[in-house]
Amino acid sequence: MRFALRRLGFFAVTMWAALTLNFFLPRLMPGNPAEAMMGKFRGPVTGQALKALELAFGVNTHKSLLAQYFGYIGDVATGKFGTSLYFYPQSVGRVILDAIPWTLGLVGVTTILAFVLGTGIGIVAAWRRGGRLDSVMPPIFVITSAIPYFWVGLMLILVFAVRLNWLPAAFGFDITLTPSLSPAFIGNLLAHAILPAASLLITTIGTWILTMRNTMITTLAEDYVRMARAKGLPGRRIMLDYAARNAILPNLTGFAMSLGFVVGGAILVEYVFNYPGVGYMLLQAVNNEDYPLMQALFLLITVAVLVAILTADIATALFDPRTRTAG
Amino acid sequence: MRRLKAIGVIMAAGLLAAACGTSSAGGGGKSSAASSVLTIDNESGSLWTCNFNPFNLSDIGYSFGPVYEPLIFVNSLQNSKATPWLATAFAWSNGNKTITFTIRSGVKWSDGKPMTAADVVFTFNMLKKFKALDINSVWSVLSAVTQQGSDKVVMTFKAPAVTYFYYIADQVGIVPQHIWSGIADPVKYPDTNPVGTGAFVVKPCTPQNITYKANPSYWQPGEPKVKTINYPAFTSNDTANTYLANGQAQWGSQFIPSIQKFYLSKNSSYHYWFPPVANVSMFINLKNPILSNVAVRQAMAYAINRGRASVIGEYGYQPASNQAGIVTPTFSTWLDTSQAAGFGNNYAYSTSKAISVLTAAGFKKGSDGIMAKGGQKLSFSIINNGGFSDWVAAVNVLQTSLKAAGIQLTPKNLAAPAYQAALYNGTYQLAYGSETGGPSPYYELRQWLFSGNSAPIGQPAGSNFERYSSPATDALINSYAATTSTATQHAIVNKLQAVMLKDVPVIPITEQVDWFQYDTGSFTGWVTQGDPYAQPSAYNYPDWGQQMMRLAPVKK
Repeated sequence: MRFALRRLGFFAVTMWAALTLNFFLPRLMPGNPAEAMMGKFRGPVTGQALKALELAFGVNTHKSLLAQYFGYIGDVATGKFGTSLYFYPQSVGRVILDAIPWTLGLVGVTTILAFVLGTGIGIVAAWRRGGRLDSVMPPIFVITSAIPYFWVGLMLILVFAVRLNWLPAAFGFDITLTPSLSPAFIGNLLAHAILPAASLLITTIGTWILTMRNTMITTLAEDYVRMARAKGLPGRRIMLDYAARNAILPNLTGFAMSLGFVVGGAILVEYVFNYPGVGYMLLQAVNNEDYPLMQALFLLITVAVLVAILTADIATALFDPRTRTAG
Repeated sequence: MRRLKAIGVIMAAGLLAAACGTSSAGGGGKSSAASSVLTIDNESGSLWTCNFNPFNLSDIGYSFGPVYEPLIFVNSLQNSKATPWLATAFAWSNGNKTITFTIRSGVKWSDGKPMTAADVVFTFNMLKKFKALDINSVWSVLSAVTQQGSDKVVMTFKAPAVTYFYYIADQVGIVPQHIWSGIADPVKYPDTNPVGTGAFVVKPCTPQNITYKANPSYWQPGEPKVKTINYPAFTSNDTANTYLANGQAQWGSQFIPSIQKFYLSKNSSYHYWFPPVANVSMFINLKNPILSNVAVRQAMAYAINRGRASVIGEYGYQPASNQAGIVTPTFSTWLDTSQAAGFGNNYAYSTSKAISVLTAAGFKKGSDGIMAKGGQKLSFSIINNGGFSDWVAAVNVLQTSLKAAGIQLTPKNLAAPAYQAALYNGTYQLAYGSETGGPSPYYELRQWLFSGNSAPIGQPAGSNFERYSSPATDALINSYAATTSTATQHAIVNKLQAVMLKDVPVIPITEQVDWFQYDTGSFTGWVTQGDPYAQPSAYNYPDWGQQMMRLAPVKK
């Protein structure tokens, strides 16, 4: 109980620090949103428009930074994120809600898949050390995990979309379709997700395999594993209940953190595949000094990561009683 | 005019380009565009918000033209040629301080109600009430807009305002009073289901794609011939370029590296035309004590190899500019060639000339090869938008050619927000950048030279970033607004060219173009060099509405 309370206290302090940084950092950037917007427009936009934009965005309001800060803390506490400037006049909430399902669907599912597959392969590879799986998989994935994922994405587009023309190269679903729950639409959705998901999977799975395999090998040398063998327990049970259960702890923490980062999206994958997620939106928000959108997105990421770490801490404590007393 | 964003992306584009080049007319599997469905290919950088408010700069480009229409269409590519649109006629009076528009009868809003002069009056008075909607500050010169009789709209100005005709007649989309009068705050109005007079209606819009459908009750019978238009949201240039080259889109507004190999070679019906419309220039901060010396500016104008900046920076797509500031060939008739010839053949590239100008002004080359006078070295930093790879390459050319004349240039490639802030606030020495043009060279010259557009250092200026100020030039600029005579207008622009040549407040480097690719295999009626009836890019508003009207599917 004391453990959980201390963790929660830590959570609250980190949260406040993140909120404060989140407010001041964007405002340290040079320029203001109206000026940034001017650079984005094409077509016959004259300098006069700068004044119209400053009016619409409320730039140069005579509120002190401190007053703005307390207003912001109050707004966050009550869940008000204001109006996006880049997507003016849409509300920040609406903009994020439009994009986040795509990111959760693509990056979230891929992260879970990469963890489950990677850890599974790592367990088996370590168990059958020197076997066929162990000599093929880890070297391959050491290489793939070193390749930047957008490059893998481009190669996949080149082969499967441009050359073979099997899979679509861009968008979340065929642009002429209207979203529905029909099997045809869901099929289309999945077809569009294959290449971006594959590029993420190929580049992230290696880490899980390697760390799992290596901790597993150390664990397999432990006395309790030897004892389990001496007791004549079935191999499968030793592998999963004795070795893997202990070896998985570092991977679990890593997994929780990467789940937290899912809400940040995968900027380059979304960019390369023209995928409608939050990652690319975050980049746009920063480039265009869209303070409200930036704040909401950074806040979302911070909260997600903090919650994930808290969950991982508690999960580790459940799996491993030692951590409860040691700290 | 979207430029490539980062080095990695350029390499990626190159890879794709190379690969596509080798696959024999590849990717044709999906190119069978349904005959009357036109797809536009224009990288927007973000998904659609599905807002269509024609007074919101983020949305205007997607509604003004095909959905909302102007009073008169003014074509920048044909010397301000005026085509009656929602107004059938206009007349200046009262010393060019009053203009009367005759509003067309028989025009209907897409919800079936008739469009009248009252809607026009309402639209303009709404801009007066909500300053944030008045993008071009037309109310800085207007004093009243009233209805006269059943079909006349009379606008009176504070001063002669001929130059504001373009902003009033061509750049304001007319909206229906019966809808907009009920909106409490039109600045925040998203206008998700726009009701306009145009040839198209939005049906439906998703974050990934805007679908435009032909308006069945359009006021021009039989128009439009294209029944469906798809406008997908492209977040990256590469994706958009591949989509276009595969034939999945027919109307491109893209910057494409190696266009011959990547696009033209794919199909004999693919074409492109990049008409120049404005200048990309080197802005000179005239408040800088060394740069305020006109000899230094003249020397720089001679020393810069504009042709090389065009070829190396812009793949030759953007032609070299001239010091008179007249965009050619678009505005060739405005260029005073004999006057420009008197200034070293319009400041033709000549390192030796640059050196002799500096020497005559008392500068001497130091041991480090840099010209100096009284301990002041000709060494400057130039700010640039680091996200535009073509501009970065062009500035490197400037650096090399100025060095030959003993002028040192240090490029500062900034992130977009920092760049914009420094440019607007005048906290730079030299800056590489561009402004919008207009339907005649006057508009760009006014943006550069009119002191009223500028601001003190440290305060944002909407244009005239170099802080040029001359009462004589201001008077010249104001006198243009008082005349409708072409001959007088030409005489004034000639004098403004003289200012550019003598004072060199800005050095135009290359000519900015409208990016435009088109497929004649699926549609006819495109804007061409032979028939430039509108600015051709999908991002030119309201021009793209004109092009949408002229296009017709090719019968197969």
